[in-house]
Amino acid sequence: MKIKLETKSGVFTYTGDCSEPILFSGLSAGLSLPYECATGTCGSCRARVMDGSVEMAWPEAPGAAKLKRDKGDVLMCQARANSDCVLRVPANVTQATDLSAAPKWRVARIAAARQLTADVIHFDLTLSSPMTFKAGQFAVVETPDVLGGRAYSMVNYVEGTNELSFVVKRKPGGGFSEWLFANELVGKELKIFGPLGAATFGPEDQKDFIGIAGGSGIAGIMSILERATLTEHFRKHKGYIFFGVRTLADGFYVKELADYVDKAQGALEVTLALSDEAPASPTHPEFPQVRLDGGFVHEAAKRAMEGRYGDNAMGYVAGPPPMVDGALRLLLTEARLPPQSIRYDKFA
Amino acid sequence: MSWIKVCAASDVPKNTCHKVWVEGISVLVVNYGEGFRVMPPICPHMEEPLEESGVVANCVLTCTKHLWAWDLRTLEMDGSETEKPLKTYDVKEENGDVYAFIEGEIVYEFDDEDDMDDDSFFTNA
Repeated sequence: MKIKLETKSGVFTYTGDCSEPILFSGLSAGLSLPYECATGTCGSCRARVMDGSVEMAWPEAPGAAKLKRDKGDVLMCQARANSDCVLRVPANVTQATDLSAAPKWRVARIAAARQLTADVIHFDLTLSSPMTFKAGQFAVVETPDVLGGRAYSMVNYVEGTNELSFVVKRKPGGGFSEWLFANELVGKELKIFGPLGAATFGPEDQKDFIGIAGGSGIAGIMSILERATLTEHFRKHKGYIFFGVRTLADGFYVKELADYVDKAQGALEVTLALSDEAPASPTHPEFPQVRLDGGFVHEAAKRAMEGRYGDNAMGYVAGPPPMVDGALRLLLTEARLPPQSIRYDKFA
Repeated sequence: MSWIKVCAASDVPKNTCHKVWVEGISVLVVNYGEGFRVMPPICPHMEEPLEESGVVANCVLTCTKHLWAWDLRTLEMDGSETEKPLKTYDVKEENGDVYAFIEGEIVYEFDDEDDMDDDSFFTNA
């Protein structure tokens, strides 16, 4: 199909496949199309169909609620072209000349999987071709057994790699997470599109790092810690990680976090915040490098950080919406971070 | 319409916002420490209710939904995400009260995508 996108900054034409969302084919063609979640919830990738036949794969997507359907508006992450088509995209779009880092589809096979807690599973994928991504980015994963894609942040960080790791929390009724828990996973084939997302942190960010995560939101922070350790970021800067779970038994990646604390030689502090039980000791019983606190994670961060915010920090937030809201308020008001120094994936 | 008292200055502590109804119009009063702003009570991005999503710090109003932000001293857009200006009513403080010049309700054009149908689409970048 010939797909023509009329944008605020010019007209772009490329050849796309009817089987994939226009957002994905456009990103693969090197176009900087607007998006946040890439999976139908946020509404950022709205466009208007001017000509041709375009179908929404998931018409009830939460991000589609405010669309003007009668005017032909669609979410590009859900829109598939059934014919040559013309869409108007209300954004400034640029065309990359080097497509080597552009997101694209790859085939992936599950190489290993292990359950970390009662409702959290970790799995490793082997890709058909290497992917270069930034720490903090995510990818959309699809299985033929479940309708639609799910977005997950990479847990690991290796430059240009065939191996990606993910962590998923089981959601009752959540099609893909239930599928992960119900199946013998090793050897299963998936499709994966990425890398995606701008909530990243790397050596270009010469700043202290304050990371606040709830549950599987820790994924991007694990990737960032790996990269920061590789680039010796904590020789010059400090890191403060606050990881919220319900109980001590719900904590995961604790050993990995403790290892990062060791490697940072005093420059990295990690706190596991338990929302549903009072911690029995000030540090983790097995890994004393990891602090324990009670209450919600942003409240634990507030207590721990009082009077300790430097004037050169970057904030990174990931987790369920109420936690994200609390953490953003903390970073804006207590840490006095300007909004451009806060990064998070706006999935809602 | 003219200058209308919206609230007492003491009703809105520093770095907070407070929604009030005046003359059948709902407005948000924001105290940013160096003064007050009175504005429609929603974020110009996705109509988020700013009395819930708005955070005031360092004279900057930030909507926590997507980090759109404005400097309340100058009303300039702040942060890297913001794409639309904040609309406000003219405001003054007299005898401990906050007044806004209200000639009618200020509304945002959430239909700016309607320019998608005409030739001005390409010139509004």
